[in-house]
Amino acid sequence: MELLLSNLAHGFGVALSLQNLTFALLGALIGTAIGVLPGIGPVATISLLLPITFGLPATTAIIMLAGIFYGAQYGGSTTSILLNLPGEVSSVVTTLEGYKMARNGRAGAALAIAALGSFFAGSVATILVAASGPLLTQVALSFGPADYFSLMLLGLIIACVLAQGSVVKAIGMVVLGVALGLVGTDVQTGQQRFTFGIPELSDGIGFVPIAMGMFGIAEIILNLERPEARSVLKSKVGSLWLTKEEWVRATPAVLRGTVVGSFLGILPGGGASLAAFGSYMMERKISRGRNEFGKGAIEGVAGPESANNAAAQTSFIPLLTLGIPSNAVMALMVGALIIQGIQPGPRMVEAQPDLFWGLIASMWVGNLMLLVINLPMIGMWVKLLQVPYKFLYPSILVFCCIGVYSLNNNVFDVYMTVLFTVFGYMCAKLRLEPAPMLIGFVLGPMMEEHLRRAMLLSRGDWMVFVQRPISATMLAIAAFALVLMALPNIRKGKDQALAG
Amino acid sequence: MQLKISTKDVLSGVFLILVAVVGLYLNQDHSLGTARRMGPGYMPMMTFYLLGGLGVWTLLIGLFSGPDPLEKWTGQDVGSLLAGIAAGAVTYLVAPSIWGFFGQTYNAVGVGILAGMLVFAISPGWRPLAIVCAAVAVFGLTLEKGGFFLALTSLMLLSCVADRTHTLRGVAGLLAFMLALSWYVFIHELDIRVNLWPVL
Amino acid sequence: MRLTRRAALGVPLLGLAAPALAQGWPAQPIRLIVPFAPGGTTDLIARLVAAPLQERLGQPVVIENRPGAGATLGSQMAAQAAPDGHTLLLSNIASHAISPALYGNLRYDALRDFTHIALLTLNPSVIVANPRAGIGSMADLARIHRESPRGLDMASSGAGSSNHLLIVRLGQMLGREINHIPFRGAGPAMTAVIGGQVPLMSDSLPSAAAHIRQGSVRAVAMSSAERHPAFPEVATLREQGFDLVTNSWFGLSGPARLPAPVVERLARDIREILARPDIRARFAEIGGAPGAFSPAEFTAFIAAELAAWAPLVRESGAQPD
Repeated sequence: MELLLSNLAHGFGVALSLQNLTFALLGALIGTAIGVLPGIGPVATISLLLPITFGLPATTAIIMLAGIFYGAQYGGSTTSILLNLPGEVSSVVTTLEGYKMARNGRAGAALAIAALGSFFAGSVATILVAASGPLLTQVALSFGPADYFSLMLLGLIIACVLAQGSVVKAIGMVVLGVALGLVGTDVQTGQQRFTFGIPELSDGIGFVPIAMGMFGIAEIILNLERPEARSVLKSKVGSLWLTKEEWVRATPAVLRGTVVGSFLGILPGGGASLAAFGSYMMERKISRGRNEFGKGAIEGVAGPESANNAAAQTSFIPLLTLGIPSNAVMALMVGALIIQGIQPGPRMVEAQPDLFWGLIASMWVGNLMLLVINLPMIGMWVKLLQVPYKFLYPSILVFCCIGVYSLNNNVFDVYMTVLFTVFGYMCAKLRLEPAPMLIGFVLGPMMEEHLRRAMLLSRGDWMVFVQRPISATMLAIAAFALVLMALPNIRKGKDQALAG
Repeated sequence: MQLKISTKDVLSGVFLILVAVVGLYLNQDHSLGTARRMGPGYMPMMTFYLLGGLGVWTLLIGLFSGPDPLEKWTGQDVGSLLAGIAAGAVTYLVAPSIWGFFGQTYNAVGVGILAGMLVFAISPGWRPLAIVCAAVAVFGLTLEKGGFFLALTSLMLLSCVADRTHTLRGVAGLLAFMLALSWYVFIHELDIRVNLWPVL
Repeated sequence: MRLTRRAALGVPLLGLAAPALAQGWPAQPIRLIVPFAPGGTTDLIARLVAAPLQERLGQPVVIENRPGAGATLGSQMAAQAAPDGHTLLLSNIASHAISPALYGNLRYDALRDFTHIALLTLNPSVIVANPRAGIGSMADLARIHRESPRGLDMASSGAGSSNHLLIVRLGQMLGREINHIPFRGAGPAMTAVIGGQVPLMSDSLPSAAAHIRQGSVRAVAMSSAERHPAFPEVATLREQGFDLVTNSWFGLSGPARLPAPVVERLARDIREILARPDIRARFAEIGGAPGAFSPAEFTAFIAAELAAWAPLVRESGAQPD
């Protein structure tokens, strides 16, 4: 403990130098900006900025890149709450309750709890990284393909809880998402599946065109069809701060989200993307406001946003302790380190204490900066909603289109967005929900990969999924979740039968 | 139990079944493999069977969970939908032979979507959907050769058609503001790689 | 503060601008297409070379990542670009030796549609084992593979990669198929080996080097012809009785019909950059040897690689469509 404190003190000494503070702030600002812009994600930005970091000391460079990464997590929630525009997987969940809150005139409260919850979760997760990084790595390493498969299956089953209406239709949409995720090159054989000979599809359908089309642009069309809904939106801009009741409800959600997110963030290969909606499912089932879900429950913003940010911090653990990047952003950081002549890995703690502890301290400093940047901006963001909708929607279209194009500098993605706009519109009319589909789309390919790998390793023995303790536990939780989900439905069915 | 048809659920079910059938048909190209060494077709097979099953279930539920009809379609709605699809398909096929530009990259797709959506927009019921989609397609068509400013201008002008309350001054102000803002954000700050002005 | 690529790359370096060519090349920033995602070995090599190259050319060299379809998407783009020297490609074993044999419907010809300029680096594959797997040499590997009822599992960074094909060849030599476990990239595969989920992996040296040095995995054999200078203690496959030499490589290419002066200038600059001690040190750290081929030699090298890999790909049974 004493050693940890002295190490952390050393880290703060590094992180609080003027240069490192400046670049942490710069990273946080850039991150917030790109998080707000739909389609432009941290991967693209960091790869653009990588050359600049060559001229900086390694520690400063990594501090800045890390700032961009978690800055983007903060910024992403803003557009999700205000405009129903999720730029990343984790913010899909935020749109569900956050956008509803905004429509109820509680945009300020939603943004505030997103920022505060993220800060709290980020702080806790940072301490966790510092105190038990190497230990947690062992947990991550003990996850085999069978365990990941069961975790993904659990994720898909809880994705159905995201649905506001019929559970069967929600499961249908999850499976449809899995089906869409099949498009592209088969990882195991390299064979092209369902690509119709289109080279752009060989890496699969892009997430951003689907999210932009089905959420952002389809929502614009629906708003244009109902002019009366727009005026409601405009007239109701309530208090910017949380009410006492909202505080009471959000606090436990933040705590639970932090725990869920910290754990899932450690797992490379998709753990972090499960964090937000794992927390959402939990809040929906056990929080005090569970009956308000679908109408703008603050727990549905507080929990997932905290989980998401906690996972963002703990996803550094595999990088710092093993030198293995757990996602594309981390892969870029490895690149940045290697170009600086530093090999990330277990020996980094001893070989580069400035870098290791400085980065950890700067995570906390960066989170504090983000809070300071974001809280005062809430007023400004909420004012955005008062812009007449007829001016707002062409502007949203502009940002969506440029964002989608700049993903790959390819107009193909723009036309995919049109396709998914039409599909999203159709789904809205048929009351099919896009959120479960997006989760299925993201988790499906990972699930297939782990399933096939597990079966290759087990020589075709399905029992591997129940023989491994981690996997068996996940499957048991999944079964339990299915039962939980079915219960209220049975009850509802009864009520309807009695009433009808 | 009497039949109380929920059109939305029935159509959802039909849609899911349709996707499953098409998927299973296309999946015939892929080898299934064995449980040990699953081929590229194994997971799709399981997925599409499950999807089909869920579709049937949704459809059955839909027969009793109603009534929940769709919004009324007028004859004009149906007519412009069919005409739009036809116009889009014809344009997609014919356009490349009219102007070489449409034969490059995905321009034929873009002009097909544009033509289809514009025909589609004849019916007022479809107008928000059709105009917004057409605007996005115009952006795609004009961006690479027409440049950043032309693409954004046409995107915004067309999308403004979807809202009747726009005034000339309002649109001009919006254009000026958004062109300046997007230039600053995307070109000056983020430096995305596109042509600013038309290239011939 | 303006943080754009142009500002970042251009401003501090323009002062050092080298004398431009008579034809005015390079007149604008040079696009270097990297057909893989940012962060991987290919991207890393591109960035290592791009920085000194732009100092010499006096124009920013902007890296554009265009991943997809076994590196063929980005390569196709480069093949179709104007041959004015402002679009270059980081060609590699995937895009110009394996994918042509793997993808039947490729829209470019690896030789005819390109001007090959210089080989940047050549690096072997290495077979690594989890330290608890009890495999320290190819003899151990062969014995365990023969005696175990299930046979051995070996991970690779992906189907159709040179590392995958190495596993197939090894299995053929051992007379019993090795259970190949493909992953999505070297990182996840290495995690599985360190975590003990898979005992062995065939990996390119640059991505495995750090893990070998840290001792988180044990190097069993190197696929180079000679022992690697950075890892002299690791015996080659050939020394251990497996006559198998494979190298993955990365080079600089451009569209077909690049003007000769541009090619000569680039080849000379690359040769001089690769001779710099600091660059050599960086390449050595990631386990690659800098290449030293003339454009003609590099072209001949690619032709030989294409011919060598085609039968291997066929035998491996890896097919994209």
